[in-house]
Amino acid sequence: MIENFLAGSAALFGDPFTIGIFVFGVVGGMLFGAIPGVSMLTLAAILLPFTASLEPAQGVMLFAVIYCTGTYGGAITAILFNIPGSAENAPTAFDGYPMTQKGQSGKAVGAAVLCSAIGGIASALVMMAATEPLANWAIRNIGPPEIFALVFFGLVVASSVGARTIWKGWMSVLIGLLIATIGQDPVGGINRYNFGMTDLAAGIAFIPAILGFFAVSEIFVQAEKKASGKYQAPKVSMTFPSFIELWMHKIAVLRSILVGFFCGILPGIGATLAAFMSYGEAVRWSKNPEEFGKGKLEGVISAETANNAATGAAMIPLLALGLPGGALTAMMVAVFQMHDLQPGPLVFMLSPDLIWIVFAAMFYANLSILIIGVLETKTILNLLKIPFQFLAPLILMLATTGAYIGRGLVLDVMVMFLAGIIGYLLRRSGFSIPAIVLGLILGKIGEQNFAQGMQMVHYDLGTYLSRPICAILIAAGVITLASNIYRAFTSIKTNA
Amino acid sequence: MGRLTLSNLIEAAIFLLIAGIFYAFSFEFNQPIEIYIFGATAWPRVVIGFLLLATLGNLWFHYRYGNATQATLGQLEDKADFSEAGTVRRMIAVLLTPFIFAYLLKPIGIYFSAPFFIAAIIWFFGERRWKVILIMTLFIYCVFIGLFLMILNAPLPQGNVSPFYDFSAWVLKLNAQLQGI
Repeated sequence: MIENFLAGSAALFGDPFTIGIFVFGVVGGMLFGAIPGVSMLTLAAILLPFTASLEPAQGVMLFAVIYCTGTYGGAITAILFNIPGSAENAPTAFDGYPMTQKGQSGKAVGAAVLCSAIGGIASALVMMAATEPLANWAIRNIGPPEIFALVFFGLVVASSVGARTIWKGWMSVLIGLLIATIGQDPVGGINRYNFGMTDLAAGIAFIPAILGFFAVSEIFVQAEKKASGKYQAPKVSMTFPSFIELWMHKIAVLRSILVGFFCGILPGIGATLAAFMSYGEAVRWSKNPEEFGKGKLEGVISAETANNAATGAAMIPLLALGLPGGALTAMMVAVFQMHDLQPGPLVFMLSPDLIWIVFAAMFYANLSILIIGVLETKTILNLLKIPFQFLAPLILMLATTGAYIGRGLVLDVMVMFLAGIIGYLLRRSGFSIPAIVLGLILGKIGEQNFAQGMQMVHYDLGTYLSRPICAILIAAGVITLASNIYRAFTSIKTNA
Repeated sequence: MGRLTLSNLIEAAIFLLIAGIFYAFSFEFNQPIEIYIFGATAWPRVVIGFLLLATLGNLWFHYRYGNATQATLGQLEDKADFSEAGTVRRMIAVLLTPFIFAYLLKPIGIYFSAPFFIAAIIWFFGERRWKVILIMTLFIYCVFIGLFLMILNAPLPQGNVSPFYDFSAWVLKLNAQLQGI
């Protein structure tokens, strides 16, 4: 492992252009994670078309680095503006934003820097040790039925993330799955839902859809906040927490690493579940649970350690099984596909260099959070002064170009803006955009593997379910689904 | 009506309409596949069926509990505030502008339409000082041209209607001359 890691490090730092991409990913991830109104997903969506001109290792590495640093960067907006960069930063805002209101933003951001780095580095080390053995095992034990079962489980879990009600979570996933049926069916190549447009025969391209659902819809949400006067400037301070303050929370950090890593492996929601569970555990184990939500440092520490600990773990199902665990890892599947590669066990045999460059990059990216986090956070705090009205047209122009150059079709730009409008309306109605995108990405994978699996077992459902891993995953999915349905009828919060 | 609101009904109607349209169109490709007994329609129809169930479940939820929320993870969005007519008008303008821009890309091209689009977005986001709008439009346009045309040489829509096409051709010629220098 160490030899491979050193080889990956040498490949990463041996080429100036690769170093440039790494630094761009580190800075860009933090920056986009931290600028309100955009997120690491916005940057990833904008960059997706341009990765076609990079080497496969450079493209995947860039996204992995953005994933690590962007997950941390999203904490900054959560703490300063109460705008989580993505769902996994939402619990950070529970205590981070009250700390800002109390004039302790520096302390909260400092804790986020340190804990994100610790969680991420620990996770990267376990990822390096565990992914390859898991991939080797997967080659022998994972076939189409198991992949379909994993997709099913991932979609069930994804349906409970980010939507205002569980019903809307399901509707989000199903809309994504329905969009994925547009284009040729993956078994017989029959055209479906092209509505007489030849350009739709190839289906809805991922890139314009992702750009629309994330980047464009975010611009519309911010436009609405501007128009209704909800946009607020934060109170900023740069007093970082002391070493003693952080040392007092060492148990919370260790617990959050374990929770983060365990949850990160689950395809579907990974880091989001990790951050929420870790925050919940912090409240459960605390002697003063009533202090949470009012600006308690432990709340920030628990959420930020866990969500970064989940980033490394989330790479395990992606690289070992070819299944994305969230929106950004789903975009990484698109990067692989653009280079005629398929993430999964075979990548370890066909492109071991790529894997170890990515692993090394993730390790150093988490280290970078620690080293340059403090420095860059100060820069970001200054950049926050750029008015959003100047940022918005730049993002829209980048998105337009990104959507167009993939296939050279104006239709893709229209699809992007349509996805942006639909995404905006759905978000404002309480639907979940990550769930839609996961449905869109996993839809074709799920259908193809279901069909192949059924052909393998000669359409005998008993044989299908007699495969132990498949049965366990289907059972886990059904139990989660049953629990979701139970909650759909019982877990009601106060009327809004 | 229970606690249903008009927006709940519209939401349900839209989803039911989507399910209906997709179901109706599924007959267009309802043909057997030799190697797969379920054919090309099975998967989409199962998805449509579940979408129908989820939509009805959501409608029931709103009927029973109004606009309550449930303990799902990571709810990021607060509710939209469209209480003022001005906000609605501005949002409609913001939503339509990119669409008009996209529609005009084919005939007019990006080189000519981009500055107007950039300026419009800056204006819709609340900037009213015309000098600032002008300077920032020029700045963003230059960044865009510099990055995509001069550095990346990205093929962008040039338009197909004169004189817009001629303008795009002039920009490209200028770029070629600058690259030559």
